[in-house]
Amino acid sequence: MINPTEGVQDDSEENYGKHASVLRSQMRRGLIGANTECAHFPCHHPGQNCTFCFCPLYPCLDPQLGEYVTSKRTGGKVWSCQSCLWVHRDDVSESLFTMMPEIGERGLDERTRSDLKLKLEGMHRKRAKAIMVLGATSGAGKSLLVAALCRAFRDRGLRVAPFKSQNMSLNSMVTADGEEIARIQDLQARAAGTKPRGELNPILLKPKGGVTSQVIVEGRPYKDCTVQEYYSHFVPNEAPAIIARNLERLMRSNDVVVIEGAGSPAEINLRGRDVANMYVAKLAKADCLLTVNIDWGGAFAYAIGTLMLLEEEERKLFKGVLINNMCPGGGSLGDSLELVRCMTGVPVLAVLPHVPSLYLPVEDSMDLDQHSAAGSGTVVAVVRLPMISNFTDFDALSLEEGVKVIYARTPEELEMADAIIVPGTKNTVQDLLWLKESGMAAAILAKAKKVPILGICGGYQMLGRKIFDVHGLEGGGPSEIDGLGLLDAVTHFDSYEKRTVQVLGCLVDGGEVRGYEIHMGRTEGGEGPLFHLQPDGREEGSWNRERKVMGTYLHGVFDLPAFRRSFLSMIEHRDAEGTNGMDHDAEIDSSLDRLAALVEEHLDLDELLRGDGHGA
Amino acid sequence: MVRKLMVQGVTSGAGKTTLTAALCRHFSARGTDVVPFKAQNVSLNSYVTRDDKEMAISQAYQAWACGLEPSADMNPILIKPKGNGQCQIVLRGKPWKDLGPGGSTSEVIDTLREQVLTAFHSNASGRELVLIEGMGSPVEMNLKDKDISNMWLAKAIRSPVVLVGDIERGGVFAGLYGTYLLLDEEERDLLKGFVINRFRGDATILKDGIEELESRMEMPCLGVLPMVRFRAPAEDSMDMMRVTGNGGGSGDVRQRWMAELDGVLEKWDGAWDLGQVRTFI
Repeated sequence: MINPTEGVQDDSEENYGKHASVLRSQMRRGLIGANTECAHFPCHHPGQNCTFCFCPLYPCLDPQLGEYVTSKRTGGKVWSCQSCLWVHRDDVSESLFTMMPEIGERGLDERTRSDLKLKLEGMHRKRAKAIMVLGATSGAGKSLLVAALCRAFRDRGLRVAPFKSQNMSLNSMVTADGEEIARIQDLQARAAGTKPRGELNPILLKPKGGVTSQVIVEGRPYKDCTVQEYYSHFVPNEAPAIIARNLERLMRSNDVVVIEGAGSPAEINLRGRDVANMYVAKLAKADCLLTVNIDWGGAFAYAIGTLMLLEEEERKLFKGVLINNMCPGGGSLGDSLELVRCMTGVPVLAVLPHVPSLYLPVEDSMDLDQHSAAGSGTVVAVVRLPMISNFTDFDALSLEEGVKVIYARTPEELEMADAIIVPGTKNTVQDLLWLKESGMAAAILAKAKKVPILGICGGYQMLGRKIFDVHGLEGGGPSEIDGLGLLDAVTHFDSYEKRTVQVLGCLVDGGEVRGYEIHMGRTEGGEGPLFHLQPDGREEGSWNRERKVMGTYLHGVFDLPAFRRSFLSMIEHRDAEGTNGMDHDAEIDSSLDRLAALVEEHLDLDELLRGDGHGA
Repeated sequence: MVRKLMVQGVTSGAGKTTLTAALCRHFSARGTDVVPFKAQNVSLNSYVTRDDKEMAISQAYQAWACGLEPSADMNPILIKPKGNGQCQIVLRGKPWKDLGPGGSTSEVIDTLREQVLTAFHSNASGRELVLIEGMGSPVEMNLKDKDISNMWLAKAIRSPVVLVGDIERGGVFAGLYGTYLLLDEEERDLLKGFVINRFRGDATILKDGIEELESRMEMPCLGVLPMVRFRAPAEDSMDMMRVTGNGGGSGDVRQRWMAELDGVLEKWDGAWDLGQVRTFI
């Protein structure tokens, strides 16, 4: 047992007495939740519940929760529960607190402890059930299925967390603790009703152009890697420990962990180097589901091919295949479903219909090209920069009645626009050069004063007068480059410092704004600001009212209605009343609920949850 | 007898049309008298021939790549979706009838198959080589008894086949291998090799995977084709959004398309083994 005052292993009679009295006093005072005052906090994991600083069930002798170790002090065997997080879960400690009887001088007797533990086990899993969704291709619907399962399990009152060991995405967001994770894991956390945090997506790769990516580990920038360095050094040497510690923590502190794979698990050229798929499935001993998008054709070939390229022990982890995105009137699949089971031993569990008009963030830049150009009304053209990032910023705009968001690659597409946005980019300097070479810069300049122009993050930097990159942080050596000069702003890249922070504030003309900053470089504006940020009224952004040009570092700037309304009202001939006050968050939640209902309807979730988490 | 080669895809959009057009261009540039063929095409983008017949624009494009005037027998069946599950069937250049769900009865299929073979032979007559494009995936097992465009045709005319998979969306090895596993013995005999399309980066990283697949499928990988962006007639509305003009469009668009196709061939040079392709056609 850990001595609460010294934090060391101590099985002495005196220590037991000390614990019993600490416990009695805690029970009396009703100290529930995290004890952030404690010098050792958090001794297990961030946000742990400290209601029971020492466990009233000690020693439980349950091999799923602890183990015998050799005592450093006495040399004898002592029961260690150092890695047990069970009693530090909010729900478990709350149940235990309510059920707790009077505590004697030496704690609880053995009989009482074992009764209590049995009751608790009936209410809370000791170790999570791991369910993993893998895709036969990218875009097979993994991410949304994980979100759907998270929401459905949450609705059953289970404690659930999503997990994706490694994600490659330019759409990231910043958590309340300043950690950077892929936007899609944030959505899944929201579906699960758990706090978005780095451990849900411990490795995030952000492509920087060419073959280099920025590697974010547990929410913090770690280093830049080329593809070659990533696979030959990072994957074998560093990734396993990072993945294991985060996954293990989630397994010990939840009822269900819903894991998402990446791409296809059958990239046989990467055998032994893929840490995003079967590696994690084996580590978590997860029940696996393979999802295939039927919309492109060849779905059965992909399902069978994927399963048959895996090792037999990997194939055995699969509980079923999900055929996804079936269009209404798509005809009968006939014996094809049975054929999959015959050839692979894995049954098709469900054929999931295409779900129309979901309001959820898109993941890949591939999806951008499918954003419909149909319909008429106000056209907001987002410049399709080669390294465009955080294009989920515009989801909220496309929610507006009569607004069409297009991704413009050519000057002609900008000519017809009623408003222009230069979005974020993973590489400001290179994309600015592209902007000039492609003729897009000239097309933007020609529209100044006529239509509102907004630069976000990298786009903001580009709209300014100058960008100084004296250390060559954006790649390609030190440079000093002219911006478009639409704003009197100057940007300096003077350190590898990355600003990742969530912000709240208000428009200078009134109305709330919420967003997050993810950027390197700092910008000094010569014009008045766009926003005043909390808590200190700090000025953010630039606004040249005469030219109708704005710049801001805030991603998600359109999520609340005030700025959407203000931006769209600068478009001439547009009726500002047409702007709807639809709530971005409420829309997302209702889409998640629809997805959860869909998996409840088509999948036997009780069967999926059956069985323990395959032991400790 | 006329020589043949058929290009089938693991999915729709795997790159069959472009690969076929590039082969048309390649062989015609070397003096081979080559002609394109696709039994049926689903598209709303059609072309009208000099003799007032309607066909898919993709086969017209492939005809230009061969230096030929497009003819409706290069694409005897054109299916034009009209909404509400109804399709207009254009047969050998003229509207034939509208079919709804369940409309493709075995009588209809028999008629269409007969017409496809007649068109194929008339189109191939007097030529040295026919380059045939398949449709969708050849292993939609629930649709196999109604197949007109893929393995049914390959068997009927005894054409060798190459299979193309798109690596961009991932899982290309699985897609190729699964397609192979779902073919019967006779079909596997006709399949001569596979091609990986839309690859970005250094192809040597695929080496282990390709070798494993070659040994499992007992056939060669004929090429790893680099991703190219180029302009071609849009086959469906989705492509139209993807490919938009860049202002350089003065002059005849067909010349522009051919120039772009030549650019594709240049970029693919050395990435595929056309010598090996020639051995089985």
